[in-house]
Amino acid sequence: MLNKTIAIALLYALLATPALAQNYVVSVNGIVCEFCAFGVGKKIRKLPFIDPSQYDEGVKVDIENQRVFIAIRDNVSLDQSALFEAIESGGYDPIDIRQITDKEPSTEVIE
Amino acid sequence: MKHTFVVLFITLVSNAYAHQPVMDMAPRWNNGYGVQTRVEHANSETTTWLEGVYTFKPSLRMTLKVPHSNGKTGDAILAMPIKRYKNDGAFTSNWGLTPSVRMPTGGGSKWDAGLSLSYSAESRKVYTLYDLYTLGDTTGIDINAGLVHSDGKGSSWFTLWDITAKDSDSGQHLLTGPVLVYFKRNIIVRAEYKFEAYDDDTQWDGNYLSIGIGMVF
Repeated sequence: MLNKTIAIALLYALLATPALAQNYVVSVNGIVCEFCAFGVGKKIRKLPFIDPSQYDEGVKVDIENQRVFIAIRDNVSLDQSALFEAIESGGYDPIDIRQITDKEPSTEVIE
Repeated sequence: MKHTFVVLFITLVSNAYAHQPVMDMAPRWNNGYGVQTRVEHANSETTTWLEGVYTFKPSLRMTLKVPHSNGKTGDAILAMPIKRYKNDGAFTSNWGLTPSVRMPTGGGSKWDAGLSLSYSAESRKVYTLYDLYTLGDTTGIDINAGLVHSDGKGSSWFTLWDITAKDSDSGQHLLTGPVLVYFKRNIIVRAEYKFEAYDDDTQWDGNYLSIGIGMVF
């Protein structure tokens, strides 16, 4: 009985906890200048799952390493296809994406 | 609305330079547009240009340049740059083929056709542009090369050297000099001063100065 109660309590706690915000970093070929960054950022910020409260309105571009950091809203899933289309419409080529871990803080990004 | 906006902002000049409005690289994104105004002093004459660009997609743009000098509007130039981009790590480059037409908006009746073949490349530190073009009776080559400095906060400085050579019915001349370009987010400022290195042109006299500011959206 106790185990069942604990299991129910844990399940409830799990369901009641909002999903943590998830940020991602995308490697983008050719993004080498501030104007490149402006164009790509402009397209990405229009996506509905971007969290404008983080980075620079949800996006931070590291032109030193050709990476784009994006912040995702709480409880919203990343639409990778839409994200890659947005980058391509900005004139550049996304090559891969991965989730940012706690060990990779945003301070790593070139300000 | 965007199309109307662009059409309203065009550039001009009695000497048609090959640079696309705002600069070769912007706006590169789908449905981007930009406007630029430039004051140019050459041949003891000051000309104000209005230039507009609309980017349908990175590979296809439309540009319009309209000059205004001594209270008169000159012949407008409409062009359609077709570009093929290559992005590779910390390097981006493109080949461009640009058909153009100079329209007799200055009061004449002569239409001129033009064509430009260009290549530009940019890395984190270096920018280069080569543009070979012909328009009316003029054939020219324009070369820009130099260093890029980005501050990582949305601003970039381009410190370039320009070489411009032209051949036309009136002769040949060659100009060369420094170009400074500054970007801040969607604003661009460009200043260039070119010395007369060679002049066997009956329609050319002296050095060249151009200062402009543009915005892209």
